[in-house]
Amino acid sequence: MTIWWLVLILAMIGSGGIAFIWLAVRVGRATGGPVVSTTGRPNSIEAAAREDVDHLFNDEFREELRNRGRLHFEKIIGESAMFLQQDLRLTTSQLNEYMKDEITKKLQEEFSKYEQSINDAKQLAIDSIQKTNLAIDEQRSTLSAQVQKEILTEKQQLLQRFENNMADIINHYVLAAIGDQIDLSDQLEYILGELEANKQAIVEDILSGA
Amino acid sequence: MAHETAKDLKLPVLVVSLVDVGRLLREIEALDDTLLQLHVRQGGKAVAMPKTSLLMDQLIELNSLNLLQAADRQRLQRFLTLVKQKAPVLHISFAADPSVVFTQKLMTWLRREVHPQLLLTIGLQPSIAAGCMIRTTNKYFDFTLRQKFGAKRDLLMEKIGVSEAAA
Repeated sequence: MTIWWLVLILAMIGSGGIAFIWLAVRVGRATGGPVVSTTGRPNSIEAAAREDVDHLFNDEFREELRNRGRLHFEKIIGESAMFLQQDLRLTTSQLNEYMKDEITKKLQEEFSKYEQSINDAKQLAIDSIQKTNLAIDEQRSTLSAQVQKEILTEKQQLLQRFENNMADIINHYVLAAIGDQIDLSDQLEYILGELEANKQAIVEDILSGA
Repeated sequence: MAHETAKDLKLPVLVVSLVDVGRLLREIEALDDTLLQLHVRQGGKAVAMPKTSLLMDQLIELNSLNLLQAADRQRLQRFLTLVKQKAPVLHISFAADPSVVFTQKLMTWLRREVHPQLLLTIGLQPSIAAGCMIRTTNKYFDFTLRQKFGAKRDLLMEKIGVSEAAA
């Protein structure tokens, strides 16, 4: 809108200038040599009119008109320059305002896009982290169950091994704990009792020979 | 003949192993040689009388033998040879070296209940802890504490279960 006003003012100034130049050319042509008729004889009416014109528009008057025109032209030029300056200032301020608005708008759009992108990336990262956490939780639970199973199996194996070798373990413990306090003489009755219980088998084996 | 000899004579409880029998056999052979030398010796020469061991003394006393008689010596020699060749040998292992009294009591029972000429080979096995392991010609008898624990495993497991439940 402001650009169009500027163009209109410049067009007016240009047309004023062209009109002034045209008027100056016309005035200069009117003050030229004597008019000769087509027949080669001087026209008296025209000469008289020219004389009157020369009388009315003498050099002083022409100079006065020229000065006035120059002043008027300068005035118009000054006003136009002033208008142009005002318009330029207005245009500049509007242009600044427009640029500011546009830049602000663009920046807001870019910022909103950037914020949207950040939000999308953030959401994507959150989703990824949540998926990773879920996967980790699943793996952890799986691993925990597997470890529990392994521990249980190991425990059962140890228990089974302990139960299978319990006699040896307890015997070793007894031997280590009170082995030096076990007197063979105290065991005579027990040994004789066991021999008595297995006497028949021993006698049969001895009597059977080799 | 040999069986009759074995029935007539007895082994003292101090004679435990084949080593003792071998030692007695060597001793009776040496005694026989000495007495033979005394019989063929020339007069006027001093001869040292052989001394008998404690085992030999017990063996003589138990069987009322007179070793100055060649017949008794031959009888004892045949007996010991027969014992060395035919006597049943029982291998028995203890956690520690048994005392002489313990061995005598054990041999007394074995000679009375199992076989009158029974011999023992005593071994040491510290892992036994308590009790003994006996090996005859074809059989193996485990009278150890370990075997007792194994036999009473159910009872032990029951006690352990009760202890865990109480804990």
